[in-house]
Amino acid sequence: MTVKLQMLVAVLAAAAVAGPAWGQQPAEDWQARLSQAELRGEAAAALDDLGRAIEADPTNPQLLALRARALDARRHPAARAAYERALSARGLAAAGRERILRRLAALDLIEGDRTSAGKRLSQLAPPVALAESSGARKVPTGEVVIPGPMSGFSRMAALSPDLPETDILTALSRNVVTSGYQAVSGSESLEQTEYLKLILRYVSQARELETLASPDKILKIEQCESPRTGELLRILGFRMRGGCGSEVVLETVNASRAFLTIDSGFPIAGLEQALRSNRVFEMDYKPTRVKVLYGPEYWLSAKEKFSGELIDAFLGDPALCRLYLGIVKLDPETAEQVRKTMPVARVRAFAHVFDFFGGMLRLKDGKAVVPGGQRSAAAWSELAGASPDKGVEFIEKLIMKDDGWMASYFDSLSRIEGPVQDYLTEPERIKRFYTALRGRVTSPGPARPVFRSNTDLMLLTTRLRMAGPNQPHLPGGLEVWKNLFVKHPQGRYDGKLTKAAAGWKEPDDLLEALFGLSRKAVENEPLKIFLSISDIERRRGAPIAAPTVDRLARAYRLMGSQYPLFSESPSLSDASMIRFLDAAEAISKIGDNVEKANTAGTMQALAALWQVLCRQKLIAEQDSDAVFSAIIEPFLKAREGGPLFDAGRSGVAALLKATGSPEDVNPQDRMIDLLTGSPTTEDQQTLAELRADMLRVFEAQKLVSLKVIFDLADHLESLSRGERLNAALLNRLAARVSDLSLPKASMSAQERNATSFGYWTERHLEDQRKLNFRAVIDKAAGDAGKLKNARGLLAPILRDTLVGLLYVHYAPPGAQLLYTNPLFARSHDFIGIQGAHQTWRTTEVLGSGWPSSAGGRLVGSLATLPYALAEAEQNFLIPTREQALIWGDLVPQMLVSAKLPRWWNVSGAQMHFLALHLRHGEDLLAAAVTSPELRTQVLDLLDKSVAPVRLRRIANELAEADLRAAIEDVTPSEFYQLGRYAVERKLSLPGGFGSSISALAAADPGRLNHQALSDAFGTPKPTLANTMKPQLLNLRTFPTLMGYSSRIMAESWESNNLFFAALADELRIRPSELNLRIPEWTQRTVEQIFATHLEDWPALLRSMRIIASQARAEARKPAAAQQKASLE
Amino acid sequence: MKKRNKILILTALLTAVLALAGVLAAQQPVFRIKVDMVVLSFTVTDGRGRYINGLKPSDFRITEDGIPQKLTTFSEGSRPPLRVLDNGATEPIATGPGEAERGGISTDALVGTNVFVLFDTSNYMYRGFVYASDAIADFIRGLDRADSVAVYTFSRNLSRAAPLSRERNEVLQGLRKAVAGDESALYNALLLALRDAAKVPGRKVIIVFSNGPDSASMVAPDDVRAVAEDEGIPIYVISTSDLNRDPISTGVFRRLSARTGGKTFFAKTWQKQVEAFEAIREDLGNSYTVTYYPQPNPNEGFRSIKVDLVSDPGKRLRVSARPGYRPRMGS
Repeated sequence: MTVKLQMLVAVLAAAAVAGPAWGQQPAEDWQARLSQAELRGEAAAALDDLGRAIEADPTNPQLLALRARALDARRHPAARAAYERALSARGLAAAGRERILRRLAALDLIEGDRTSAGKRLSQLAPPVALAESSGARKVPTGEVVIPGPMSGFSRMAALSPDLPETDILTALSRNVVTSGYQAVSGSESLEQTEYLKLILRYVSQARELETLASPDKILKIEQCESPRTGELLRILGFRMRGGCGSEVVLETVNASRAFLTIDSGFPIAGLEQALRSNRVFEMDYKPTRVKVLYGPEYWLSAKEKFSGELIDAFLGDPALCRLYLGIVKLDPETAEQVRKTMPVARVRAFAHVFDFFGGMLRLKDGKAVVPGGQRSAAAWSELAGASPDKGVEFIEKLIMKDDGWMASYFDSLSRIEGPVQDYLTEPERIKRFYTALRGRVTSPGPARPVFRSNTDLMLLTTRLRMAGPNQPHLPGGLEVWKNLFVKHPQGRYDGKLTKAAAGWKEPDDLLEALFGLSRKAVENEPLKIFLSISDIERRRGAPIAAPTVDRLARAYRLMGSQYPLFSESPSLSDASMIRFLDAAEAISKIGDNVEKANTAGTMQALAALWQVLCRQKLIAEQDSDAVFSAIIEPFLKAREGGPLFDAGRSGVAALLKATGSPEDVNPQDRMIDLLTGSPTTEDQQTLAELRADMLRVFEAQKLVSLKVIFDLADHLESLSRGERLNAALLNRLAARVSDLSLPKASMSAQERNATSFGYWTERHLEDQRKLNFRAVIDKAAGDAGKLKNARGLLAPILRDTLVGLLYVHYAPPGAQLLYTNPLFARSHDFIGIQGAHQTWRTTEVLGSGWPSSAGGRLVGSLATLPYALAEAEQNFLIPTREQALIWGDLVPQMLVSAKLPRWWNVSGAQMHFLALHLRHGEDLLAAAVTSPELRTQVLDLLDKSVAPVRLRRIANELAEADLRAAIEDVTPSEFYQLGRYAVERKLSLPGGFGSSISALAAADPGRLNHQALSDAFGTPKPTLANTMKPQLLNLRTFPTLMGYSSRIMAESWESNNLFFAALADELRIRPSELNLRIPEWTQRTVEQIFATHLEDWPALLRSMRIIASQARAEARKPAAAQQKASLE
Repeated sequence: MKKRNKILILTALLTAVLALAGVLAAQQPVFRIKVDMVVLSFTVTDGRGRYINGLKPSDFRITEDGIPQKLTTFSEGSRPPLRVLDNGATEPIATGPGEAERGGISTDALVGTNVFVLFDTSNYMYRGFVYASDAIADFIRGLDRADSVAVYTFSRNLSRAAPLSRERNEVLQGLRKAVAGDESALYNALLLALRDAAKVPGRKVIIVFSNGPDSASMVAPDDVRAVAEDEGIPIYVISTSDLNRDPISTGVFRRLSARTGGKTFFAKTWQKQVEAFEAIREDLGNSYTVTYYPQPNPNEGFRSIKVDLVSDPGKRLRVSARPGYRPRMGS
């Protein structure tokens, strides 16, 4: 507890003793008491006390208002009634009355009740009128007609049924562009994919069915025996088997038609049932009308000689779809200007650039808004060939320039802000760095491939560090980087840059080179090195010395994947990093692959365990470097056998000692306890549940406990001193490893040939299975040396246990593989494919899809084990929505973000502090409905994280008092940022949540601040920030990117943990329970997602909100039942 | 305390085995189970493959690793299970209404078979998708009224198209709304179906309807087979592929079904598929199901089960049963 907090507690405690009884205290004291109770995690009890005080003084308006606000802070369902009660209390001050009325109006608007909100606002003095929902600000739209019901078309086109009407054509266009066409082999033309062919056939079938429907578009079959029935069945591809009546069965007669019928979800079972029971079959078969921006004419004008329906135009023309996508991405006012000014044919020609890089373009007062503002306008003018003051003309030039490279540059610089943007948008630099980026050959541009290919450019501009104003931070100084380019360790990076590097004099020279490399998809290693080492150094107290940076840079190709380890502890010394590299390089030189795998596996596992224990603050920061060093040191010399075993054992001992474990502790139990979390937590139930889960995985993997391994090693030592054999101990080991048989015995020869664990893995498994310690001991015949050396046979077993403990720790929610394949952890392949040098590379999943392997396994180092495990297990999650698939790259990151952080050290006050930020953000949005001035300020703050097109939509929604829609358009992390920036700028509402945030922050500044929340509720970002350490970066959500698909997008998505922690606060769940709840809620969220495409994060948001509603209902069910029982 | 001695109320987590032991007095019937109870289903056929019905508990001698076992319950086909008394005689098990709500289970839940149909809707089944759907629909319509059925579909992920139900129309609606998918993760899906089936009390089987290839599973077929063996859930496979087209899948299918007490059918045409389903239905209607608590056995690995017909000393009849199982840890 901080000194300040202690003082506050003491003051309040004294007040409690000396002051009047709580029931007689003024509201200000209650405010302080509630605030204090939040800090102590006793808010619920304080609120109960307040309730009792109100019972004693039931008409006290201040107390009633205070209680209502406290309930509202946690979204309690009783908050509204509490406000109403306070409002009706006599003596409520005018200011208090206004606050309550406004808050109630906001709650009404959130529920979509405009009438009630309007009434409340009309009671204000002076009355406030609610803006009418005129739709005047909305962009003009028309309709596109899709035959048949939307549900059928959605299924065929793989569109989420939850899509808002306005987004359907956008989503369809995206799917047509990405999945509708494929290149014809040996030609530049495109052909339709099976996906698109089926949609087209479905549309045709739906039109046939429409003709069968009545004028009011109802498909109706009144009796089984009728020509109409026959015609319907013909269109559907079915026929009746058996005569009309109870025996009738529908069966396929035309497979392709029947396929469309079933795949589109036509109620064929219902039709069959109606025919069997001679009931009338009715189906609403009205065509679906979907919104199309600007109406059909604009889009059809982009086509020549087309006379069909608009939907056919979209389905038949990927370029038209791309045009639609490009325009939809634009801020509506900008789009409108583009539409009016640019010929549609020209927009269409650059639709791909608009689509990928148009999202940040914006016109304001007819001028283009450019990164760097007025200062940089001239530079942009020079680059683009038109002044930003000329609005659309500038945009047109920018988009057309260099096949999209300039637009991608503009987009990247628009996404950042602050000192980095100031530095990069200095006029001369804008031109210089763009010239480097552009290069000599501009084709193919970054918008040509399926994904944006400017990944490294975005990473460079986002992750660049500044040492001071206009001074980029160069790890190790400029000389290191000059040398890297000049004396390149693995061949020349770039001939031109190598030559230029000799003359570099200032940081800009290096940055210019990095921009030049950022356009490359390959051979851009120096850029990756720069970003990686910058990230290691980011949170360190002292900079890394130049020689160390040099060593790290030169070892990057082989060891770069290991570098996130170095960013785990800010006090890790240069010497320790060098020692790790020395040991790793020594291990790489081991010729025997079995020996190499065991040594690398053991050292990596120990380092990864150190990483976990540091992250969980079980190893003190001041000890972390010494412990790391102690773990790694023995591996500088250790080789197979006894020394390797000793190195592993001493590493375990170092970890146990550093975590304050007693010397005689059971190492297995203690390690499990440590990995579970905080052995000192008061929440023993959560701890026990987590521990039980971990033990289940450990058992399922048939791993040998550390205790058995070490006891056996000690016993060998005893035997060498002539002591008697302990057969029971030997049997314990034998019982564990005897079951490790490969399934090959039961297979045919052909299967055996096709099935492979990988040669080195099989040897590893076989060696253990065949291990017979009794025979070894007998063979030693009492020879002390041989007996002692026999401990080396335990080294592979120790490796598996250490690796397995990490598998246990990172087991993702919903895991199945870990419980089913007992060889999964043991099969971890540290050698990998021959020639791939995977020992130190990222962890990868290999062998999915039978019969190419004996089940999947993980290959490579342990560097990205949490992600790889989640990737391996993700397809065992069961979508609750038909057709929904698990979202490849996004889901593993979501699972890792839910599993890797632990919340043992988080306080209830921190959780509430976070929740208040989200509430504050929402509160400001609500207040912005009725205050245009505040709206401008709020939108300015949201502009830091929300894309222009969405910002404009939110602005319109607020202006039209559609608060519910506006709230749904803002992500939890954006709400958090809005709340945070508002507090920083002292943008607060009288009596609002902002004042509670300030009060809490003042009471415990050490723990209630952004950095603490970032540590507590952030997510690991191994790709984006080269570290597993959870953190909040508050970036705009990234798009999908070449080489990473949705992975970086997933890392930039920080809403889940923030949202769920705020939910837990609302439901008064203890922070320690987040260790169970967040993985569970995340799993349910994943299973609930129905996304349409890879950037469909709104689908994720919808899913989270559904899970939250379910969690609220579950949590409040007992309370509701109790209430009902008491009433009865 | 060993789990063997721990009596637990039946919960969803423990329902890997049929729950019939520990029956209290008929007036206050509450079914309780021990976690290590074994459920064993088998058929008896003559030399021509005809089912032999009407056998009694005393006709069988069941051993585990050669150790004779004492039967707890006995049932034939879809008939309600009977309690086996010490003298080998049987008596009905009755439960009162609302038993399930009181933490036990009603006898009704133990009547019939819980059939899980696992329908491959991946790209590999694209061409045969609708015919397969027809064949499965026919199978569902023809099941004994006492049987419950669930339809799960899979491609890369599993989908619970129709949860376990005796309402045929509901199940058919779920089946007929199956969506064609992309990659095939057959063994992942089979594992998940087994996990679901294991939670259901009573007798259960899984019928896999697939043409074989697997392009996305992370779990190996033999690991899935081990789960099925341990849970006592027979796997029937209807492969829409030719017998010799994919020898590896053929071998795996045969091993999966034989080791779990099921059967494999190769049925490329719709007619063959209907016949395969008919054969499975016959199997279900003509099989015997017994439960027992294993006698003390130090073997913690695979325990082999043998069913001998006491009344058939000449070994003219053939018993088809799963060959064994691995006891749960701690049992």
